[in-house]
Amino acid sequence: MARRTTDTGAELIEPDDYPQMVSKRDGLRCMQTLQSGRVALKAKTAMASYTPMLRDAIMEYVESLEEAGTDLQRVFAIAHEIRNFAENAGMATAGRVAENLCRYMDEMERVKKPVDPAIVALHVAAIARAARAEEDDAKMGDVVSAELNALVRRRLNDAGVR
Amino acid sequence: MSDGFEYLKALIVEDNSHMRSLLRALLNSIGITDIAEASQGKAGIETLRLRRPDLVLTDLAMKQMDGLEFTRYVRNDPNSPNPFVPIIMITGHTEKHHVEEARDAGVTELLAKPITAANLFSRIAEIVERPRAFVRCGDYFGPDRRRHRTEGYKGPWRRAEDMEDVEVG
Repeated sequence: MARRTTDTGAELIEPDDYPQMVSKRDGLRCMQTLQSGRVALKAKTAMASYTPMLRDAIMEYVESLEEAGTDLQRVFAIAHEIRNFAENAGMATAGRVAENLCRYMDEMERVKKPVDPAIVALHVAAIARAARAEEDDAKMGDVVSAELNALVRRRLNDAGVR
Repeated sequence: MSDGFEYLKALIVEDNSHMRSLLRALLNSIGITDIAEASQGKAGIETLRLRRPDLVLTDLAMKQMDGLEFTRYVRNDPNSPNPFVPIIMITGHTEKHHVEEARDAGVTELLAKPITAANLFSRIAEIVERPRAFVRCGDYFGPDRRRHRTEGYKGPWRRAEDMEDVEVG
Protein backbone atom coordinates (compact mmCIF):
# COMPACT_ATOMS: atom_id res chain seq x y z
CA MET A 1 0.00 0.00 0.00
CA ALA A 2 1.56 3.30 -1.13
CA ARG A 3 1.67 5.99 1.52
CA ARG A 4 3.09 9.44 1.36
CA THR A 5 3.74 12.07 3.96
CA THR A 6 2.59 15.65 3.52
CA ASP A 7 4.52 18.82 4.44
CA THR A 8 2.62 18.89 7.73
CA GLY A 9 3.73 15.37 8.60
CA ALA A 10 0.36 13.74 7.94
CA GLU A 11 0.42 10.31 6.34
CA LEU A 12 -1.79 10.19 3.24
CA ILE A 13 -3.25 7.05 1.65
CA GLU A 14 -4.75 7.80 -1.76
CA PRO A 15 -8.03 6.14 -2.87
CA ASP A 16 -6.20 3.96 -5.39
CA ASP A 17 -4.14 2.55 -2.56
CA TYR A 18 -6.86 1.14 -0.33
CA PRO A 19 -9.81 -1.17 -1.09
CA GLN A 20 -12.84 0.67 -2.49
CA MET A 21 -16.47 -0.16 -1.81
CA VAL A 22 -17.03 -1.02 -5.47
CA SER A 23 -14.69 -1.74 -8.34
CA LYS A 24 -14.21 0.85 -11.06
CA ARG A 25 -16.23 -1.26 -13.46
CA ASP A 26 -19.15 -1.61 -11.00
CA GLY A 27 -18.82 2.08 -10.13
CA LEU A 28 -20.31 3.10 -13.46
CA ARG A 29 -23.29 0.79 -13.00
CA CYS A 30 -23.72 1.99 -9.42
CA MET A 31 -23.89 5.62 -10.52
CA GLN A 32 -26.44 4.77 -13.20
CA THR A 33 -28.52 2.95 -10.57
CA LEU A 34 -28.35 5.84 -8.11
CA GLN A 35 -29.46 8.30 -10.79
CA SER A 36 -32.15 6.09 -12.30
CA GLY A 37 -35.79 7.24 -12.30
CA ARG A 38 -36.91 3.62 -11.95
CA VAL A 39 -34.89 3.22 -8.77
CA ALA A 40 -36.11 6.57 -7.40
CA LEU A 41 -39.71 5.45 -7.90
CA LYS A 42 -38.97 2.07 -6.30
CA ALA A 43 -37.43 3.81 -3.29
CA LYS A 44 -40.34 6.26 -3.00
CA THR A 45 -42.85 3.41 -3.10
CA ALA A 46 -40.86 1.45 -0.52
CA MET A 47 -40.76 4.43 1.83
CA ALA A 48 -44.46 5.17 1.33
CA SER A 49 -45.31 1.61 2.39
CA TYR A 50 -43.88 2.43 5.84
CA THR A 51 -45.96 5.59 6.32
CA PRO A 52 -48.87 3.98 8.26
CA MET A 53 -46.43 2.18 10.59
CA LEU A 54 -44.49 5.40 11.19
CA ARG A 55 -47.69 7.34 11.78
CA ASP A 56 -48.69 4.89 14.54
CA ALA A 57 -45.20 5.17 16.03
CA ILE A 58 -45.38 8.98 16.05
CA MET A 59 -48.75 8.91 17.82
CA GLU A 60 -47.23 6.63 20.48
CA TYR A 61 -44.29 9.01 20.85
CA VAL A 62 -46.70 11.93 21.24
CA GLU A 63 -48.48 10.17 24.10
CA SER A 64 -45.12 9.45 25.77
CA LEU A 65 -44.08 13.06 25.25
CA GLU A 66 -47.18 14.33 27.03
CA GLU A 67 -46.58 11.86 29.88
CA ALA A 68 -42.94 12.91 30.23
CA GLY A 69 -43.97 16.17 31.93
CA THR A 70 -40.97 17.85 33.53
CA ASP A 71 -38.53 15.02 32.86
CA LEU A 72 -36.50 17.11 30.41
CA GLN A 73 -34.11 14.35 29.44
CA ARG A 74 -37.04 12.18 28.43
CA VAL A 75 -38.78 15.07 26.67
CA PHE A 76 -35.63 15.71 24.63
CA ALA A 77 -35.19 12.03 23.71
CA ILE A 78 -38.81 11.63 22.59
CA ALA A 79 -38.91 14.96 20.76
CA HIS A 80 -35.83 13.81 18.90
CA GLU A 81 -37.52 10.62 17.75
CA ILE A 82 -40.52 12.65 16.55
CA ARG A 83 -38.21 15.06 14.76
CA ASN A 84 -36.45 12.11 13.08
CA PHE A 85 -39.56 10.42 11.72
CA ALA A 86 -42.47 12.82 11.54
CA GLU A 87 -41.76 13.93 8.00
CA ASN A 88 -41.43 10.32 6.81
CA ALA A 89 -44.81 9.70 8.48
CA GLY A 90 -46.39 12.61 6.60
CA MET A 91 -46.49 14.74 9.76
CA ALA A 92 -44.17 17.53 8.71
CA THR A 93 -45.52 20.22 11.05
CA ALA A 94 -45.09 18.07 14.15
CA GLY A 95 -41.56 17.32 12.95
CA ARG A 96 -40.67 20.97 12.51
CA VAL A 97 -41.94 21.92 15.97
CA ALA A 98 -40.05 18.98 17.49
CA GLU A 99 -36.90 20.11 15.69
CA ASN A 100 -37.28 23.58 17.13
CA LEU A 101 -37.66 22.17 20.63
CA CYS A 102 -34.60 19.95 20.23
CA ARG A 103 -32.49 22.82 18.96
CA TYR A 104 -33.54 25.01 21.88
CA MET A 105 -32.80 22.33 24.50
CA ASP A 106 -29.54 21.29 22.88
CA GLU A 107 -28.21 24.83 22.61
CA MET A 108 -29.24 25.74 26.16
CA GLU A 109 -27.38 22.70 27.44
CA ARG A 110 -24.35 23.63 25.37
CA VAL A 111 -24.19 27.13 26.86
CA LYS A 112 -25.02 25.69 30.32
CA LYS A 113 -28.19 27.75 30.78
CA PRO A 114 -31.43 26.44 32.32
CA VAL A 115 -34.24 25.41 30.01
CA ASP A 116 -37.48 27.41 30.42
CA PRO A 117 -40.23 24.85 31.27
CA ALA A 118 -42.88 27.13 29.71
CA ILE A 119 -41.14 27.00 26.33
CA VAL A 120 -40.91 23.22 26.59
CA ALA A 121 -44.60 22.92 27.52
CA LEU A 122 -45.64 25.16 24.62
CA HIS A 123 -43.69 23.02 22.17
CA VAL A 124 -45.04 19.75 23.58
CA ALA A 125 -48.61 21.05 23.24
CA ALA A 126 -47.93 22.25 19.68
CA ILE A 127 -46.37 18.92 18.67
CA ALA A 128 -49.36 17.00 20.06
CA ARG A 129 -51.86 19.32 18.38
CA ALA A 130 -50.05 19.21 15.03
CA ALA A 131 -49.64 15.41 15.11
CA ARG A 132 -53.32 14.83 15.93
CA ALA A 133 -54.47 17.32 13.27
CA GLU A 134 -52.19 15.69 10.68
CA GLU A 135 -53.42 12.24 11.76
CA ASP A 136 -57.03 13.45 11.41
CA ASP A 137 -56.25 15.01 8.03
CA ALA A 138 -54.71 11.77 6.82
CA LYS A 139 -57.65 9.71 8.11
CA MET A 140 -60.09 12.18 6.59
CA GLY A 141 -58.14 12.01 3.33
CA ASP A 142 -58.33 8.19 3.37
CA VAL A 143 -62.08 8.24 4.05
CA VAL A 144 -62.80 10.84 1.35
CA SER A 145 -60.60 9.00 -1.13
CA ALA A 146 -62.25 5.62 -0.39
CA GLU A 147 -65.78 7.10 -0.62
CA LEU A 148 -65.07 8.87 -3.92
CA ASN A 149 -63.49 5.70 -5.24
CA ALA A 150 -66.62 3.70 -4.28
CA LEU A 151 -68.88 6.35 -5.85
CA VAL A 152 -66.96 6.31 -9.14
CA ARG A 153 -66.96 2.51 -9.23
CA ARG A 154 -70.73 2.44 -8.61
CA ARG A 155 -71.44 5.05 -11.29
CA LEU A 156 -69.16 3.31 -13.78
CA ASN A 157 -70.91 0.06 -12.97
CA ASP A 158 -74.31 1.73 -13.56
CA ALA A 159 -73.01 3.01 -16.89
CA GLY A 160 -72.08 -0.51 -17.90
CA VAL A 161 -68.33 0.02 -17.68
CA ARG A 162 -66.62 -3.16 -16.54
CA MET B 1 -28.54 -5.01 -16.49
CA SER B 2 -27.32 -5.42 -12.92
CA ASP B 3 -27.44 -2.56 -10.43
CA GLY B 4 -23.74 -2.72 -9.55
CA PHE B 5 -24.55 -3.06 -5.86
CA GLU B 6 -25.79 -6.65 -5.79
CA TYR B 7 -22.57 -8.11 -4.38
CA LEU B 8 -22.26 -5.51 -1.65
CA LYS B 9 -22.74 -6.33 2.02
CA ALA B 10 -24.13 -3.60 4.24
CA LEU B 11 -24.40 -3.17 7.97
CA ILE B 12 -27.00 -0.97 9.66
CA VAL B 13 -26.23 0.03 13.25
CA GLU B 14 -29.29 1.79 14.60
CA ASP B 15 -31.28 1.47 17.82
CA ASN B 16 -34.63 2.42 16.30
CA SER B 17 -36.33 -0.47 14.51
CA HIS B 18 -38.42 1.87 12.31
CA MET B 19 -35.31 3.57 11.02
CA ARG B 20 -33.63 0.20 10.41
CA SER B 21 -36.64 -0.86 8.32
CA LEU B 22 -36.56 2.35 6.28
CA LEU B 23 -32.84 2.07 5.63
CA ARG B 24 -33.13 -1.58 4.66
CA ALA B 25 -35.94 -0.73 2.22
CA LEU B 26 -33.85 2.03 0.63
CA LEU B 27 -30.78 -0.19 0.31
CA ASN B 28 -32.96 -2.93 -1.20
CA SER B 29 -34.20 -0.49 -3.81
CA ILE B 30 -30.68 -0.02 -5.19
CA GLY B 31 -30.04 -3.76 -5.18
CA ILE B 32 -28.29 -4.31 -1.85
CA THR B 33 -29.92 -7.32 -0.25
CA ASP B 34 -27.15 -8.71 1.98
CA ILE B 35 -27.83 -6.47 4.96
CA ALA B 36 -26.94 -7.15 8.58
CA GLU B 37 -28.47 -5.15 11.41
CA ALA B 38 -27.33 -4.26 14.92
CA SER B 39 -29.20 -2.21 17.51
CA GLN B 40 -26.13 -0.61 19.13
CA GLY B 41 -22.41 -0.09 18.61
CA LYS B 42 -21.09 -3.14 20.51
CA ALA B 43 -23.32 -5.51 18.59
CA GLY B 44 -22.31 -3.59 15.47
CA ILE B 45 -18.65 -4.41 16.09
CA GLU B 46 -19.42 -8.10 16.48
CA THR B 47 -21.41 -8.07 13.26
CA LEU B 48 -18.64 -6.14 11.53
CA ARG B 49 -16.16 -8.89 12.44
CA LEU B 50 -18.49 -11.68 11.34
CA ARG B 51 -19.95 -10.18 8.17
CA ARG B 52 -17.18 -7.88 6.89
CA PRO B 53 -19.55 -5.36 5.30
CA ASP B 54 -18.57 -3.11 2.39
CA LEU B 55 -20.72 -0.23 3.64
CA VAL B 56 -21.81 0.79 7.13
CA LEU B 57 -24.74 3.01 8.05
CA THR B 58 -24.73 3.99 11.70
CA ASP B 59 -26.84 6.16 13.94
CA LEU B 60 -25.02 8.69 16.11
CA ALA B 61 -26.97 8.55 19.38
CA MET B 62 -27.26 5.03 20.79
CA LYS B 63 -27.07 3.59 24.27
CA GLN B 64 -24.10 1.45 25.42
CA MET B 65 -21.88 2.38 22.47
CA ASP B 66 -22.81 5.31 20.26
CA GLY B 67 -21.98 5.90 16.61
CA LEU B 68 -18.93 8.03 17.40
CA GLU B 69 -17.33 5.37 19.59
CA PHE B 70 -18.23 2.74 17.02
CA THR B 71 -16.61 4.77 14.24
CA ARG B 72 -13.45 5.39 16.30
CA TYR B 73 -13.19 1.64 16.89
CA VAL B 74 -13.57 0.85 13.19
CA ARG B 75 -10.95 3.39 12.19
CA ASN B 76 -8.39 2.91 14.96
CA ASP B 77 -8.64 -0.40 16.76
CA PRO B 78 -5.92 -2.92 15.82
CA ASN B 79 -8.63 -5.60 15.71
CA SER B 80 -10.80 -3.66 13.30
CA PRO B 81 -11.48 -5.87 10.26
CA ASN B 82 -11.55 -2.94 7.82
CA PRO B 83 -10.47 0.55 8.95
CA PHE B 84 -11.23 1.90 5.46
CA VAL B 85 -14.87 0.81 5.27
CA PRO B 86 -17.15 3.72 4.26
CA ILE B 87 -19.29 4.85 7.19
CA ILE B 88 -22.40 6.96 6.68
CA MET B 89 -23.50 8.43 9.98
CA ILE B 90 -27.21 9.13 10.21
CA THR B 91 -28.24 11.63 12.81
CA GLY B 92 -30.91 14.03 13.91
CA HIS B 93 -28.20 16.00 15.74
CA THR B 94 -27.21 18.35 12.94
CA GLU B 95 -25.84 21.18 15.06
CA LYS B 96 -22.33 22.27 14.10
CA HIS B 97 -20.60 20.79 17.16
CA HIS B 98 -22.18 17.37 16.54
CA VAL B 99 -21.17 17.47 12.88
CA GLU B 100 -17.58 18.32 13.82
CA GLU B 101 -17.52 15.50 16.36
CA ALA B 102 -18.69 13.02 13.72
CA ARG B 103 -16.14 14.29 11.22
CA ASP B 104 -13.35 14.01 13.78
CA ALA B 105 -14.38 10.45 14.65
CA GLY B 106 -13.71 9.50 11.02
CA VAL B 107 -17.11 9.19 9.35
CA THR B 108 -17.14 9.22 5.58
CA GLU B 109 -20.49 10.92 5.07
CA LEU B 110 -23.15 12.44 7.30
CA LEU B 111 -26.87 12.06 6.62
CA ALA B 112 -29.43 14.15 8.47
CA LYS B 113 -32.74 12.76 9.69
CA PRO B 114 -35.46 12.74 8.51
CA ILE B 115 -33.92 10.67 5.76
CA THR B 116 -34.95 10.76 2.12
CA ALA B 117 -34.00 8.38 -0.66
CA ALA B 118 -32.36 11.21 -2.61
CA ASN B 119 -30.18 12.20 0.34
CA LEU B 120 -29.06 8.66 1.09
CA PHE B 121 -28.33 7.96 -2.57
CA SER B 122 -26.33 11.16 -2.90
CA ARG B 123 -24.11 10.11 0.03
CA ILE B 124 -23.56 6.68 -1.52
CA ALA B 125 -22.81 8.37 -4.86
CA GLU B 126 -20.14 10.51 -3.15
CA ILE B 127 -18.46 7.35 -1.85
CA VAL B 128 -18.56 5.70 -5.28
CA GLU B 129 -17.70 8.74 -7.36
CA ARG B 130 -15.35 10.76 -5.18
CA PRO B 131 -13.55 8.50 -2.73
CA ARG B 132 -11.33 10.49 -0.40
CA ALA B 133 -7.77 9.88 0.64
CA PHE B 134 -7.25 8.53 4.15
CA VAL B 135 -5.15 10.54 6.56
CA ARG B 136 -3.20 9.59 9.67
CA CYS B 137 -2.41 12.73 11.58
CA GLY B 138 -1.85 12.96 15.33
CA ASP B 139 -4.64 10.94 16.93
CA TYR B 140 -6.83 11.02 13.81
CA PHE B 141 -7.20 8.28 11.25
CA GLY B 142 -9.95 8.51 8.66
CA PRO B 143 -11.06 10.13 5.43
CA ASP B 144 -9.38 13.43 4.59
CA ARG B 145 -11.48 16.03 6.42
CA ARG B 146 -10.79 18.67 3.80
CA ARG B 147 -13.15 18.09 0.90
CA HIS B 148 -11.32 18.49 -2.36
CA ARG B 149 -10.77 16.72 -5.63
CA THR B 150 -8.13 14.04 -5.13
CA GLU B 151 -5.48 14.72 -7.75
CA GLY B 152 -4.03 11.65 -9.35
CA TYR B 153 -6.98 9.39 -8.53
CA LYS B 154 -7.41 7.09 -11.50
CA GLY B 155 -11.13 6.42 -11.06
CA PRO B 156 -12.59 7.01 -14.52
CA TRP B 157 -16.23 7.69 -13.57
CA ARG B 158 -15.96 11.15 -12.07
CA ARG B 159 -17.59 13.09 -14.86
CA ALA B 160 -20.15 12.11 -17.46
CA GLU B 161 -17.56 12.33 -20.23
CA ASP B 162 -15.25 10.01 -18.30
CA MET B 163 -17.88 7.29 -18.46
CA GLU B 164 -17.29 6.96 -22.20
CA ASP B 165 -13.83 5.59 -21.43
CA VAL B 166 -15.07 2.84 -19.14
CA GLU B 167 -15.37 -0.66 -20.49
CA VAL B 168 -18.54 -2.30 -19.24
CA GLY B 169 -18.60 -6.05 -19.55
